[in-house]
Order: sequence, then C-alpha cells, then structure tokens
Amino acid sequence: MAGTVIGEGLSIEGDLTSEEEVVIQGSLRGKLTSSDAVSVGSSAVVEADVNAQSLTIAGQVTGDVNAAERVDLQAGGRLIGDVKASRLTIADGASFKGNVDMDV
Amino acid sequence: MNDASVIGRGTVVRGSVRGSGSLEILGRVDGDVSVTGDVTLGEDAAVKGNVSGVHVTIAGAVQGDVRGSEAVTLEHGAKVVGDLTAPKIGVMTGALVRGLVRTDGEPPLGAARRSLAGQAARPAVTAPKPVPAAPPPRAESALDEDAPESDDAPESGPIRASREAPPPPVAPTLAKGAKAKKKKKD
Repeated sequence: MAGTVIGEGLSIEGDLTSEEEVVIQGSLRGKLTSSDAVSVGSSAVVEADVNAQSLTIAGQVTGDVNAAERVDLQAGGRLIGDVKASRLTIADGASFKGNVDMDV
Repeated sequence: MNDASVIGRGTVVRGSVRGSGSLEILGRVDGDVSVTGDVTLGEDAAVKGNVSGVHVTIAGAVQGDVRGSEAVTLEHGAKVVGDLTAPKIGVMTGALVRGLVRTDGEPPLGAARRSLAGQAARPAVTAPKPVPAAPPPRAESALDEDAPESDDAPESGPIRASREAPPPPVAPTLAKGAKAKKKKKD
C-alpha cells in the first residue's frame, strides 16, 4: 500500500511534502512535493503545484506539474497547468491545457 | 469507497487537514486536524495543532488540544501538551499529558472545587464518577498534617485535584466599567 493516502472525504489546505508514494483521492490546495510517485485519483481535486518523481493523473489538477521521470494523464483526467517532464503521455479522453517542456 | 486516509511516515503536512473518514497519521502535521471519523496517531507521529475526531487514539506527540466526540485514548509513549476533552478518556501507563483533562458531562470544575474548599458536609455525593471519590475534608486535612510527604501512598487523588485546578481568572472589567460610569456621570 502507498505510504500516504488522502481519502475521498479528506481535504488538505497547505503543503504536503513526502518521501514516499502519495495517493490523493480527496482534495488538496497548496503545494505537493514528493520524491516518489504521486497518483491523483479520479475523485481528486488538486489545486497545487506538483513536484514528484512520477505523476499519474486521473482526476483534476490545476497547477504546474514537474516530474523527474514521467507524467501520465489518464482518460478522464484533467490538467490545467504547465508540464515539465522528460516523458509525457496523454490518454484519449483526457483534457489538458498548458505548455509542455520535455527538457530537450 | 476509499474513505480511509493515511499520512505516512515520510510525509509532512503544513496546513490544515479536515474532512470525513478515518485518518491515520504516522508522519508529521503542522496544523489542525479535524475529521468526522476516527483519528489514530502512530508512535513516531507528531502533530502541532488541535486534533479532533470521533475516537482519537494517540501513541505519538501532540502539541495542541485533543478532542474526541466519543473517546480519547493515550497509548504508552504518547506525549500531549494541551487539553483533552471527550466523554471517555483513557490514559495508559507511560503516556505523558500536560494540560487540562476533562470528560464531558461532568459538573464544571469550579463547582467541584468550591464544594471541596467549603464545609463540604457531603463531598462524596457531588463528586463525579470518573474522578476518584474525594474523602471527607477532615481526612484530607489529617493527611496533610500527619503525612505531607507520603509519595508512596497510592491515593493522592484529592491533593492532585486541588493542584490541577487553575487559579481563577483575574477580570479587569470591573475597573473599566467603573471608569466609564464615572465619565457618564460627569
């Protein structure tokens, strides 16, 4: 199981900093930093800049995203903000508005 | 479906955490925690802020008030600097508390204190259940005179109770009001 899970009913206002895997199903406003993988679940609403090793988005993210490894925007996922990552996938059915910087 | 939340060992939250569902904290939270489910603080967890939930179980450190709508339990190794409030409060051996511990539904502390300080013809009747029953005042004074340094005596309830009671707040409102009245008269 993931190290940190923010359940569907939970909301955090502030910064979350982690050294382990983070799964968000609830809501987060502020800033999200993890040196491991971050997963934004389908019910999640994140209004924050996200820094992570890798990021999977199935819910809503508003904010700039910076991943050391990769960003996966899944079907149903919604991202408004700039992406900086060396690998990026955007699935059919995902919505995205922002710039992409793939570090070339 | 997934209403259980975990703030893991390597995670620090700076800000408030609130919502529904149960919450397990193993890392750190600098801010208030308020959920409508149970809250569990692991051994290495630390919270700097008020914690409230239904059943609140603490084995870590809290700097702030703890409130449980059903119960608050301090496990061995818990450190709480702040007040505890809940209908049921459990403190295990090895837990540290610095603050006011109060079970809901008992008569206010002030009333109990007054009855202790006064003549108190029937102190045992008014004493609330969770607090160890206070012996009649004669016995207490006799204890004080005869053996004031009885540390090994297990029943030091009444002495502790009188120590815990905070001093009455000093209210400066009377002086202010008096001045205002004087001015009005003038």
